[in-house]
Amino acid sequence: MEYQAMLAWALPMGVGLAAVGSGLGLGRAVGSAMEAIGRQPEASGKIQTAMIIGAALIEALTIYALVVFFILSGKIG
Amino acid sequence: MGLDFLNRTFRTTAALLLIFVPVGLYYLGFYQTLAILSGGIWGILNVLFITRLVQSTIRAEGAQTSRAVAFALIKFPALYAAGYFLLKVPQFNPIHLLIGFSLLLAVMVLKVLGRLYLGLDNSVHKNEKLQKVH
Repeated sequence: MEYQAMLAWALPMGVGLAAVGSGLGLGRAVGSAMEAIGRQPEASGKIQTAMIIGAALIEALTIYALVVFFILSGKIG
Repeated sequence: MGLDFLNRTFRTTAALLLIFVPVGLYYLGFYQTLAILSGGIWGILNVLFITRLVQSTIRAEGAQTSRAVAFALIKFPALYAAGYFLLKVPQFNPIHLLIGFSLLLAVMVLKVLGRLYLGLDNSVHKNEKLQKVH
């Protein structure tokens, strides 16, 4: 299989995997935050902040994968 | 570390971007600076909308459905479409957009590390006290 065909196959797979990983990570993070807020409602502000920071970092990884997709997609065909 | 931490992070990132603009225009060039600035602003708006979305959905009094839907509609189709068009601008290098986007995350991580190092959070003090007790 030539380089461009492999790239055309691997790029969408990579973005898809990044999206799946990010989705699983966000799901776990938000689920755990909900449990923590349920246990300690008075600490909801701190938990929300930590969750937002985590969500932003997790989401950033998918955006990085998407940007790499855009950078490398110019080399296909 | 409350929600004011995020507001301070937004302000610090905006200030850094403003400081960067003249430096970037002098050393990098117009489109490169504009790309980094656009990426930075996009990153700030992205996290701002995540914050507002979380604040409007996770509340002790119950979710504010209309606000949550409004923020979700702004963030997911509109902001992501803006990001797509930024990536498609031929004068913009995606690497420069990425640098701008990463600035907020870098500020956030450095601020958290600084707080941990200085022991500004109560939870850190509590942990230290617990460790001393045990």
